[in-house]
Amino acid sequence: MSKPQFDREHHVKKATGIGDPQCFKGEAGTAKFKVGDKVRVKDLADIFYNRCQVYTRGVEATVAELVYESPPAEDEAWDNCDNPEWFYSLIFKQKDLWPDYPDTFANDTLETELSERWLELA
Amino acid sequence: MAEKKIEGEHLHPPAAMVDEVSEFEILEIAVRELAIEKGLFSADDHRRWSDYMETVGPLPAGRLVAKAWLDPEFKKLAVTDGIKASLSVGIDWINDMPSSFGTPSDYCNLRVLEDTPKLKHVVVCTLCSCYPRPILGQSPEWYRTPNYRRRIVRWPRQVLSEFGLQLPEDVEVRVEDSNQKSRFIVLPVRPEGTEGWTEDQLAEIVTRDCLIGVAVPKPDKTANDKRSVHPAINPVEHH
Repeated sequence: MSKPQFDREHHVKKATGIGDPQCFKGEAGTAKFKVGDKVRVKDLADIFYNRCQVYTRGVEATVAELVYESPPAEDEAWDNCDNPEWFYSLIFKQKDLWPDYPDTFANDTLETELSERWLELA
Repeated sequence: MAEKKIEGEHLHPPAAMVDEVSEFEILEIAVRELAIEKGLFSADDHRRWSDYMETVGPLPAGRLVAKAWLDPEFKKLAVTDGIKASLSVGIDWINDMPSSFGTPSDYCNLRVLEDTPKLKHVVVCTLCSCYPRPILGQSPEWYRTPNYRRRIVRWPRQVLSEFGLQLPEDVEVRVEDSNQKSRFIVLPVRPEGTEGWTEDQLAEIVTRDCLIGVAVPKPDKTANDKRSVHPAINPVEHH
């Protein structure tokens, strides 16, 4: 059997004893958004794989926390760890996600995490 | 089925090992065998992983909550660094797992979501079934169903009331959709009637359902409610 062309264990070697996403700490550069920023989720094309829920597309949210740095799922799915990004925890108003959400519960929210490429300032 | 007695043999016919294998199980076996054949991992690695997965359960997460109720400093740590706080209940997310770094389904970022009297968290993974397994064990079947996953984000209050949890209007319900590398447990509000309780007593009432957020702890309740299962009207035929 011929030798594999690339190192299939590079991720294991990097993350062992450190953890994932901890092993990507410091690799994403300066964060574009800060806590409290109002952002909108971009409606990017769904090419192959991503983890951005369709129901969040085009909806505004508030940045609650900068959670970690990591290659985004859409790169990592192809074993590409070259471009780590900041991940943000976002809080949406349920009313913004679902227009017919009852006014009685206008305070209800939903929180989820997205990487920088999916966000723009609202 | 009638039993057939054969002289000198067992009274019962041998039970089938597997009643039914789903297509996903066949797929898992096929991928696993291919991976072993390719040398990505060995059969022994797989056995160690399976053994590890059978040892994990919800007790450490319940204890973490009990500790946080008793010790404000520990609560602060739990909310800011769930991975470090897990060490106090015997769970090392990074080094316990046979792979020593987590897997694509158990990344090492635990976020502990603190409820208040005016804020109630509930956890879901709409895209698949992400779950903080190292500290909470295997997810219950209902957590993985499309029914729960699609409805809890859209009609959270209705779904929670199906679990027996009705929340007043002035409580903000926050659905946490676990979609990337963070895993979540809920730190519920300590119920009244538990004054002076020990950590052991408190840990007992923090059930798995409380940690997912579909229930709240009660002083007289130490088990999850049974979920009723309705038989399908038009069951899917297996081929």
